[in-house]
Formats: sequence, structure tokens, C-alpha cells
Amino acid sequence: MGALLAAFWLAFFSRGPETRFDELALGKATTTYYAEVDGHPIHCRTVEDAEGCIAGFRARGLDRVALWLGNSQIHSLNQQQPGDQTAAPLLFHPLQARGIDFLTFSQPNASLQEHLVLFAYLRQRLPIKWLILPVVFDDLRETGIRAKIAPALDDPETVAALSRFPIGERIIAQKPKIATSDLAALDQTVQESVEKGLNDWLDRHVGLWAARPEIRGRIISDLLRLRNRILGINAQSKRKMIPSRYQANMDALAAILTLATDSGIRTITYIVPIRDDVAIPYDTQAYERFQAEVEALSQEHGATFANLGSIVPGELWGMQDPTSGGGEPEYDFMHFQARGHALLAEALARLLDAQITEAAQ
Amino acid sequence: MIFNSVTFLAFLAIAVGLYWVLPRRSRLWMLFLASLTFYGFWRVEFLPVMLASTVVDYWAARGIHRSDDPQRRRLYLIASLTVNLGLLFYFKYLIFFATNGAGLLRALGFEISDPAFSIVLPLGISFYTFQTISYTVDVYRRLIEPEHEFSLYACYVTFFPQLVAGPILRAREVIGQLNRRPAFQLDDLSIGLRRILFGLFLKVAFADSISPLVDGGFDQPVQSLGALDVWTLAFLFGFQIYFDFSAYSHIALGSARLMGIHFPENFNFPYLATSPRDFWKRWHISLSSWIRDYLYLPLMGEAVGDESRGGLAVAVDDGREARRTRSLFLTWAIMGLWHGANWTFVLWGVYHATLVYAHRILAPYLPTLSPRLQAVSGWAVTLPLAMLGWIPFRARSVGDTFEMFSRVVTPSSYLSLGLRENAYLIAALLLLGTVLTYGLRNLAVPRLSLHPIPWTLVRVLGYAVVIALVFVFLRPISQFIYFQF
Repeated sequence: MGALLAAFWLAFFSRGPETRFDELALGKATTTYYAEVDGHPIHCRTVEDAEGCIAGFRARGLDRVALWLGNSQIHSLNQQQPGDQTAAPLLFHPLQARGIDFLTFSQPNASLQEHLVLFAYLRQRLPIKWLILPVVFDDLRETGIRAKIAPALDDPETVAALSRFPIGERIIAQKPKIATSDLAALDQTVQESVEKGLNDWLDRHVGLWAARPEIRGRIISDLLRLRNRILGINAQSKRKMIPSRYQANMDALAAILTLATDSGIRTITYIVPIRDDVAIPYDTQAYERFQAEVEALSQEHGATFANLGSIVPGELWGMQDPTSGGGEPEYDFMHFQARGHALLAEALARLLDAQITEAAQ
Repeated sequence: MIFNSVTFLAFLAIAVGLYWVLPRRSRLWMLFLASLTFYGFWRVEFLPVMLASTVVDYWAARGIHRSDDPQRRRLYLIASLTVNLGLLFYFKYLIFFATNGAGLLRALGFEISDPAFSIVLPLGISFYTFQTISYTVDVYRRLIEPEHEFSLYACYVTFFPQLVAGPILRAREVIGQLNRRPAFQLDDLSIGLRRILFGLFLKVAFADSISPLVDGGFDQPVQSLGALDVWTLAFLFGFQIYFDFSAYSHIALGSARLMGIHFPENFNFPYLATSPRDFWKRWHISLSSWIRDYLYLPLMGEAVGDESRGGLAVAVDDGREARRTRSLFLTWAIMGLWHGANWTFVLWGVYHATLVYAHRILAPYLPTLSPRLQAVSGWAVTLPLAMLGWIPFRARSVGDTFEMFSRVVTPSSYLSLGLRENAYLIAALLLLGTVLTYGLRNLAVPRLSLHPIPWTLVRVLGYAVVIALVFVFLRPISQFIYFQF
């Protein structure tokens, strides 16, 4: 009886279209947009799909690259209309006209530790001359390396670059704990291929088995919504900074800046646009301290710093689904409309232009 | 082979099916081959190590039994111990002692570097060597007779449900059951399946879910942790290791039960212990019973038992206080070292010895309370102390351990928080859940079971949730923690 009930419950739970769990926080009004040019992506996510962007660079035959790393803000469009674009393609075309390739990599909630790994990895594969690095207060609460970036830690040159820094050593040490697949515990065992074969067979022949990742994701996101509902957490709840994670990410920022300087790469760091027509979900003093710290660190390493926090006006931001699953839509503090992307692209173009001109002199 | 996998479930179904249809001789060889397959699915190249230990003890025990000459008997025993402990030493402790030896020599002024070699630890070596040692020692002590039929004896050593992480069983408890297959009973099948299901549930729904929080917390620089963070991590890891290891034991016991074979329990609600001594009657019972019979009691010159029950909570009140205390600390230090070649494990053992010793010294001076109040207050003191004991077990180094302990005793450290909010929330929920589970089991279930309809409904709903979660979360994403020992 219990098994039967479980089967009904699972069948019910697995109905509906597939969910993109890494983009779940975006809500219904916001869509993701990864730009392509001539069939090649110019906006990638992680190490997993980096080869597509690198192949595009090779096909275009340019010898200088400007690299933009970021989080979901740069691949999301609120209330997207036909023809709307993110800032990435808006920056790509004018730069290409000047003989500079422009590539973007972004993942939701990307931490600076992940940016460090990705940068160390891409630095070996692309002639990067300029690096644009948004610094997001929210993402300084994140730590660890996601499985899709972890393959970079198998690359000896990336590991060598990371091991120059204590934070890099810590990241390398985490590698064995990053579960890169559901079969991680069977790595290099005889059982691995048998388990894979059995799972593949079940995936093909048992619908519910194939739906397991979807159901897992739905259970976890429902639990998070339940937590938010019980504890009254919403988009405007103040997020507390976690000192150790904050420090680890600041150390990663310093490592990126050092690595860039040592490689002759010019860096632009900027504080990301945030919706400021309503109270921000941070402690104001902590947020101000953070901005000052990023500015000081950037200057210390000779990077250009810009505070772009207020460049996108309130009306260009959207709303998101309620974090507790029910009730009124909530303010979205991270994602804006296409006009916001145009403003961001303009600001970054100005900063880049100054650096390119300076480099040419 | 890892329990939380489809491969194991398919393998178990085939092995159990054959077990019930094959005649005795074929059945024993089938079980032996199935156990070798189970082990070989991890690394084939380590099968000879396990077989060497098995064959040596088969031979040594028979040699001991054949001879009446005490010296010759002792020689056989020494040969067995040399091979078993030698294997254990080589695979598990050689690098540890070589590194520490090199460090000591450097401290004395010699120029010597750390050993530059690595040795892969064969899965389950600490478990099967202890099992073979107990067999030979029991024959030597004339507690049992050696088994002449190799396949039967080999099944006892390599029996797949308990091969990799116990329970560590005595020959007397298992060989008879393997020898004579009991009549098939639906009850055994039902209990076995339920225990496997519950074990998988604990592993995939709880232990594996807590793991990232624990890993993240212990990977942080210790300086960034406040006192409440240390407590939270201690409780989280305490729950993780309990769910993980008791899950393994549930699956082991359940798998054996499908074949009508009864194993003794390895856990009994350890976090409800009311004293440090009580804790050791409830945690990893088969190991602490082994340590009791083959280490502690011999050190005390006391009579030994031959059952993997009762744990290490022995009290020998004969006035030999100094010897008793020495034995206590030595035994626990060795038990700590059994878990892994690191001083942190020794520290964990000594920590628990200190708790047992302190309880022994203080017990006569504690106020006399009503039994219920005594139990509640004992639990309220024992639980946090037992949980705090997991810090050396999980910390990266002895230095980190002391740093974390120092946080706990520094009042100002209670003012800062360094973990993500979910860590505190989940630790609190698990603690609440443990108490509620105990309450439900002892108070609500007996009452509810008197009313058939609501009781059936609750059971059906409970099973539906457990089955669904096991189905959805079953994946070999992480090994069992005790595999590394």
C-alpha cells in the first residue's frame, strides 16, 4: 500500500514541464539569454560549455579578448520583448569592430572563488587583455565550486596558477568533495560501469526513474519555500553576511587581480547595479563597507573601479515570484529589463574605451 | 560494492534468490563467490589481501586446535596475529608512523624528509582483520572449535552484508546460522526489507543531505568560527555519522535477515544515552564489545566473553584503580587509532576515556534524584559532551581541534556566527527530531497501535514517504563514512 501510494505521489510530482533549477530564483517574468554570433556562442556558462566560446573566438581570428565574468544579472532579461538583448552582445559588436573579441561567462550566484577558477582556466586558453569583473554583495555569501566548473581543477596549468594563493590551495583541496556526478562515490571502481549501465537502462524504460532529478529538485525547492514561509523570509529580508565566506571571496578577488596584473591583463571591477528605489535587502553600513573595500582592493592592484550601483532606474527592474511560493510578487533586486542592459553596456563601454585608449598610448 | 546503488539491490536480489534455492554445499560456495564479487566491485586487486587474511586464520586456528603443546599453540596464534596486524599496519599505519618518525628525527636534529610514497587502504581491512583475529583467539582460548569446512569458514569472514563496515561478528554468532539454513519465514523477509529501506532512507535522505553543510563548515578557517558554530558543526557531524553508520548497519542487518540470518544490533539510540558509559553500550556495539573482549579485559586480567553485544561499558570494581584507569585510557586510545592513522582519532578516544573516567569519579558525589530526573539530567549532560567529541574525529588536525575546543570555552566567542543560516536551522531540527522520534516511539506508537485503522493509515503514509524519498534520492553520490576505516 505504501509503495503504491509512493508511486502515485511521485507520478503526480513529476508532472509538468521540466524546471531549470539553477535559474529557479529568476521567476516567471525573467528569462535567460545567452547570445550567439554566427552560430558560435559569445556568452557561455562554465567550463563545461567553454569550448563553444573558445571555438567562436578561433573562428573570428582576432588576437585580443576582453572577458566578462558575472552572475545571473548579465544573462537575464526581465519582461523580454522580441529583439531585446543583454549587455553582452551590445558590447561584443563595437569591440569586434575595433579588432577585439568579447566573451562573457556567467552562472547564477557565481562566487568570486568560482570566477577565480574560471579565470585561471580561461587565461591559458584565450589571449585575454581586459577583464571585467562585477562584484555582487549577495554572491559573497556563496562558497565552494560547482560541479560544472570543477573540471578546471583537473587542468595542471589552472592548478599551478591557483596554488600560488592560499585561497587557491583551499579550492584545490575541495576538489575530491565536489560530486561531479550522481555516481561520484564509484569513481574508478569496477561498479561504476555496471551502475551506469543499470541507470541508463532504467532511464530508458522507467519514466519515473528518468524523472528523478526533476522530482529531487522540486522537493528541495518546495522545502526552501516552506522554510521561507515559516520564517517569513522574502526578497526584502536582510541578508546577513557570513564573515568566513566574505573573506574567502575577497581573498579570491585579490587573487584574480594579482593573476591579471601578472599576466598583463587590465581589469575593471564594478559594483553591480541594484534596485535602489526601495530598501535594499542588505545592512546599509555593511554594504557601504563592502563597496569601500572592493574599491580599495582594486586600487591596490591597479584595477579600474566603478560603482554602477545606481545606473539602472527603478522602473527598469522587475518583480519575481514570491520566495515562499504563495502571495504577492516580490521585488527583484538583481535582474532588469533590456533598457537596463543597454545602460550597463554603455557604462562598461566607457570604462573599456578608456582602458583600450590607455593601452594604445 | 556500495549499498546505496541499484547494482547492490540487483545483486542482493540474485544472491538472496539463489540462497533460498541452492543446496547446502553450493549455497556456501555461492555466498563466498558473491562476497568476493561484492568486494571485487570496488577494487579487484585487493581481493588477495582479504583472502590471505582468511586463509592464514583458517590454517592457524586448525593448527592451534590440533596441538596440545602450549608453545606450539602460541606460535600459531602469533603467526596469525603477525599476518593480520602486519597487513593492517602496512596498509593503514605505515605512512603515519613513518611520517611521525621522520618528524621526531627532525626534532632531534636529523635531516630527514617525510616518506614520499602513498598506500591505498583496502576497503574494510580494519573490520575483516578484527573478525579473523577474534576467530583465531577464540579457538586459542578454547571458546570455540575451528571450522573444518573452508567454504563455511570463508563465508563467515567474507559474508558480504557485514564485510566492509561491520558489525564485527564472532564466529559463534554466525557460523551456525550459515551452516544450517533456517526455514523460510515471511517475517524475516518483511523485517529484512524494512530494515534495508530504513537504512537507505537514513543514508540518502539524511546523511547525504547533511554532508555538504558539515564539509563546508569544517573546511572554513577555524578562526572564522564562533562558539555556536563549533557546537552546530559538532551536532551536525554527530547526526551525519550516526545516520550514515547506522544506515549501513540497518542495511547489513536487513540483508542478512533476508537470508534468515540474525545479526546483533550495532546501535541503540546512542544519542539518548544518560551517561558516557551508557553511550558506549549504544554506539558501534560490535566494535566496543570486540575491544572489551580482546583488549580491555585481557589488560585487566579478567574473564572474557565471546559475543559482540554489551559494548565497552564494563566495570571491574575490585579496587585495582590504577590498572583500571591505565587500561581504560590505553583501550580507548587504541580504539581511536583503529578508526584512522591520525592523532585526531587518538584524541577522540582519549576524550571519551576522560568522560568515562570523570563520570566514574564524580558519580558517587552526584545528588540523588528521581530515576526520571536522573535520566533527563544525565542525557542533557551526556549528549552535548558526546557531540563535542566528534570535533577531533572530524577536524583536519589536532591544532584545529584545540582551536575549536577553545572557542567553546571562550564566552566572547558566543557573540559571533560564521555559518550559513541553514546550518543552525537543520542542526536544531535534527535535535528536535531525535527527541520527538524517541517520544513517538515510546509514547505515541504504543497507544496508536491499539487503534488498527489510524495505526494502519499512519504506517501506510510513513512507508509511502520513505519509499518515495529512497526512490528519488537513491544514488551513489557519497560513500559511507566508515568505509575509510
